[in-house]
Amino acid sequence: MTAKFDRRSVLKLGGGMLAASALLPHQAFAQQTAINYWHTFTSQSEAAGLQAVLDLFKAAHPDVAVTPENIPNPEFMAKITAAVVGGSRPNVTMVSSERFEDLLAMGALSDMTDRIAGWERRGDFDDKRFASITKDGKSYGVPGFTFVDWGYYRKDWFDEAGLAAPTTYDEFRDAAIKLTDASKGRFGFGLRGGPGGQNFVVNVIEAFGSPVKKEDGTIGLDRDIVVKALDWYAGLLVKDKAVPPSAANDGFQQVISGFQTGQTAMIWHHTGSYQDIASKLKPGVEFGTFAMPAGPATRVARLAYAYNCITNDENADAAWEWIKFWGEPDAAVAFLEKTGYMPASTVAAQDQRIVGNPMYKAAADTLGFGIPQPSFPGAAGWAQNTVLPALQQILIGQATPDQAADQIIEGLAAAIA
Amino acid sequence: MATLSIKGVRKSFGAVEVLKTIDIELEDGGFLVLLGPSGCGKSTLLSIIAGLEPSSGGDVIIGERNVNDVHPKDRNIAMVFQSYALYPTMPVRRNIGFGLEMRKVPAAERDAAVQRAAELLQIEHLLDRKPGQLSGGQRQRVAMGRAIVRDPDLFLFDEPLSNLDAKLRVEMRTEIKRLHDRLGTSIVYVTHDQIEAMTLGTKVAVMKGGVIQQIADPQTIYEKPANMFVAGFIGSPTMNFLSGTLERSGGTIVLRHGEALLALPGLEQDVGAHIGKSVVAGIRPETFHPGEGQGTLTGTVDVVEPTGPDTMVILSIGGQLLTARLGSRDRPKLGDTMTLAVDTAAINLFDPDTGDRI
Amino acid sequence: MSRGRAMAALPPPRSTWDAINPLRLLGELSETRYWMYLLLLPSALLITAIVLFPTVYGFQLSFTEMRLNRPAGNGAFVGLKHYQRMLADPIFWLSLRNTAVWVTFSIVIEFVVGLVAALALNRNLPGGKILAVLILVPYFLPNVVAGNMWALMLDSRVGVINDILVRIGLLHEYKAWFADPNTAMATAIFVEAWHSFPFFTLLIMAGLKGIPADLYKAADIDGAGAFAQLRLITLPMLRTIIAAAVILRVIGLVNSPDLLLILTQGGPGRSTQVLSLYAFQNAYSDFNFGYAGALSVVMFVLLMLFAWAYIRLSKVNQD
Repeated sequence: MTAKFDRRSVLKLGGGMLAASALLPHQAFAQQTAINYWHTFTSQSEAAGLQAVLDLFKAAHPDVAVTPENIPNPEFMAKITAAVVGGSRPNVTMVSSERFEDLLAMGALSDMTDRIAGWERRGDFDDKRFASITKDGKSYGVPGFTFVDWGYYRKDWFDEAGLAAPTTYDEFRDAAIKLTDASKGRFGFGLRGGPGGQNFVVNVIEAFGSPVKKEDGTIGLDRDIVVKALDWYAGLLVKDKAVPPSAANDGFQQVISGFQTGQTAMIWHHTGSYQDIASKLKPGVEFGTFAMPAGPATRVARLAYAYNCITNDENADAAWEWIKFWGEPDAAVAFLEKTGYMPASTVAAQDQRIVGNPMYKAAADTLGFGIPQPSFPGAAGWAQNTVLPALQQILIGQATPDQAADQIIEGLAAAIA
Repeated sequence: MATLSIKGVRKSFGAVEVLKTIDIELEDGGFLVLLGPSGCGKSTLLSIIAGLEPSSGGDVIIGERNVNDVHPKDRNIAMVFQSYALYPTMPVRRNIGFGLEMRKVPAAERDAAVQRAAELLQIEHLLDRKPGQLSGGQRQRVAMGRAIVRDPDLFLFDEPLSNLDAKLRVEMRTEIKRLHDRLGTSIVYVTHDQIEAMTLGTKVAVMKGGVIQQIADPQTIYEKPANMFVAGFIGSPTMNFLSGTLERSGGTIVLRHGEALLALPGLEQDVGAHIGKSVVAGIRPETFHPGEGQGTLTGTVDVVEPTGPDTMVILSIGGQLLTARLGSRDRPKLGDTMTLAVDTAAINLFDPDTGDRI
Repeated sequence: MSRGRAMAALPPPRSTWDAINPLRLLGELSETRYWMYLLLLPSALLITAIVLFPTVYGFQLSFTEMRLNRPAGNGAFVGLKHYQRMLADPIFWLSLRNTAVWVTFSIVIEFVVGLVAALALNRNLPGGKILAVLILVPYFLPNVVAGNMWALMLDSRVGVINDILVRIGLLHEYKAWFADPNTAMATAIFVEAWHSFPFFTLLIMAGLKGIPADLYKAADIDGAGAFAQLRLITLPMLRTIIAAAVILRVIGLVNSPDLLLILTQGGPGRSTQVLSLYAFQNAYSDFNFGYAGALSVVMFVLLMLFAWAYIRLSKVNQD
């Protein structure tokens, strides 16, 4: 090579290549917009459900390429906070109800009110479905699917013991005690005392009669009721011995595998684990589903939604296509069939594939009386960092219900201060 | 004090044979030098004597005792390493006395022994320092102190002077010789330095490729090298090798190298069988003298290198270069034709095929 | 830079170009003592950007009100408020105590096991090279993988560890290691030690290669046994490397909550709550970055004190 490169010719050449490279991709991919989607799906069935929706979407919208990115649930808030602060926001993010207030406050979410108002499927959704993603008249997301709280019970064991699925806390506790047989390594209730168990504690407190957020918007707890609720709930382990001793560290995986492997007779979760359970136990024969039982004061079963939200102004139109698609009945039912998660759309929920299945009856009932979680900035952190450790301390004998109640109430005051 | 016998010692690392049947006898109070280029197996042999390395066969006998299965610490030997191997955290006093300490010698006795060794080596003032605070020569003395304090049957030195600068090396060499004379303990000493070998050893074993090429007193090694390797390895500048054919001319034997003829009167070797055959004549540079003699060589002066006491003259004889060590006043001009007399009695003849001395 | 000198030696008359010729000016500058500062400038800027700025920002944060879910009062200077709260915060003190336990036991176990492994691997036994690679595997596993793997193996229902312990009769029933405050911390330390001891092995092996073999030979001949050789040669010769490894590991252990986040999330009932986890929770689930910043500053100061004291006590910077 004897070609002589002086600076000018190198610059020319480089500039030309730069121009060419700037043009080429646009010409080649002008018809496809790429967006990424942050989600917190973990189980195999959830992954299969997401894939089913992605496949349907790809067929219907070849112009939008969705790249799903799995963010483990415990790390989600850290990752999204970093992304918002650092300016590397995803296009679309899955947001569960209890995280809405925090994310909105930190400016992570885009106002989608106008898009939603102009959406042809808006009528398929009950207004209540948007309540947990709306503030001051502005909506920031569309429900993708519903977390419907319910329980699973070992139908074969219940039948054998002559018991029916519980409808009240008293029946629930009786069944839990009756079905416990330590010699067989069998326990009545798989209490979730590890990660994620905080929400059930709040549910029990509310079911005993002390709502966290009152109707007038004030936030606070009635100490006596909290003590009673904790005494009952943690008592299932410490007094009734109807709960596996591992409860204080049992998170989602442990609770599910405890039920699947025949260690526990009942667990509380939501419909999203239905397919996981059904893959190990025979629906209607070995296990059944029940709506959350009623507490002494009220019946608390949560309806929470996984909202899909626009978190980046770039490619917002493509993002909107993807978000809308979750409202299509075919997509919603495909997702349900892989996972068990109920659709958020009323129209989709009335699909024959759902209403014709008796195993979903408890969920369908709960859709009628279920209520959203208490929502305010700091709620999620309080539940995770104060309520859960307080419960654990009772479970492991380091605190009395009174002491735990004090922690929970003081923590709540600090969280909303 | 003891004798050392090495009988048929072999060593292989896998398929590589680094020592091939070594036999050595060292008399009580002798000073054996293992000399050879790196990789000749001399250090391995020393390690086997020390017991730091197992042999693949053969016997090591120190005094009357076969020590094949005896741990190094029980062989009653002491060793001085090239790197000195002083314990970095201990002061000199403890370094020297450490072997005694490990043998549970009472403290008072130990201190006295350390003191004696320190006096002998003139390092009393260093006793409380750490090795890191010493110069190379001082470390070397401490290492020797550590060896002599034990009053062993046998000293082993592994290239002890290699890490010192030239001046110190000469000093320490003298020191070691003096120590040997005073203590009278048998020594095995490994080196690649022929001067050390010649000055120190009572017996020198020249090694190459895991084989002892020659084992003899230094004088014999120098004057009657067993083969061309030993001949070339010992002496500086190295021995000249002049190839040629042996002829009988009248009553004398003559070496013919091309046009040049070198008469070899007074040759010690019996070369009758080699008349008419090729041989290599080994001629040490100092056996040349200016002027005439019984055997002479004539050539062209190629290089002149004055060194001070001597002048090295490199002559081209029939295309072959020979080095002659001449007096400092002998300064021929480049290109001159020069005739030199050779002390033919000092010439060694070698068989060019085997390299062995005829 | 001979150019500058040559130019300076020229007689005075200069063209206007000469006066502004950047190369000439650069050349002259290179002859002054400011040149070295100029050469240091890029690295100084880089260090400021990637080290100094974030550190200073962290300190500043700790004196600031910064709650991401309460944008209203954010950015206000609040003085020592967070530090005062910390003094009265029982969870802080508990976390501090747990951190001390977590770090001390992890380090001791990791060091001892790492040292033993390195010494064993250093003997060049047959198969040693493969073993050396295998023994490093835990360290190459991400915390997330190692944590989840052990969580599964230690599971109270399907865990293989429980199965083995029951089979060999050490346990008579499966144990929920992370649900019992008496075993949760110990078990977490065990997992941590398993995960990180190869770090010590790796560094100590590198250090062992630097110890002259002659020292051990001399000790053999002097009659020092294996333990004396370890105490008098190996450990002193590894002092610097051990100090570096310990400091690096302590920093990692104090600062990184990953493993505990997976294994226990601080539970049960805060029995494995450590400072890093507490700061993490304050930042990313309470969004109180001011208080989290103050906790981080305390961790930073404690680590600096530790490193300073350790280096002094171990006399690493001597001889």
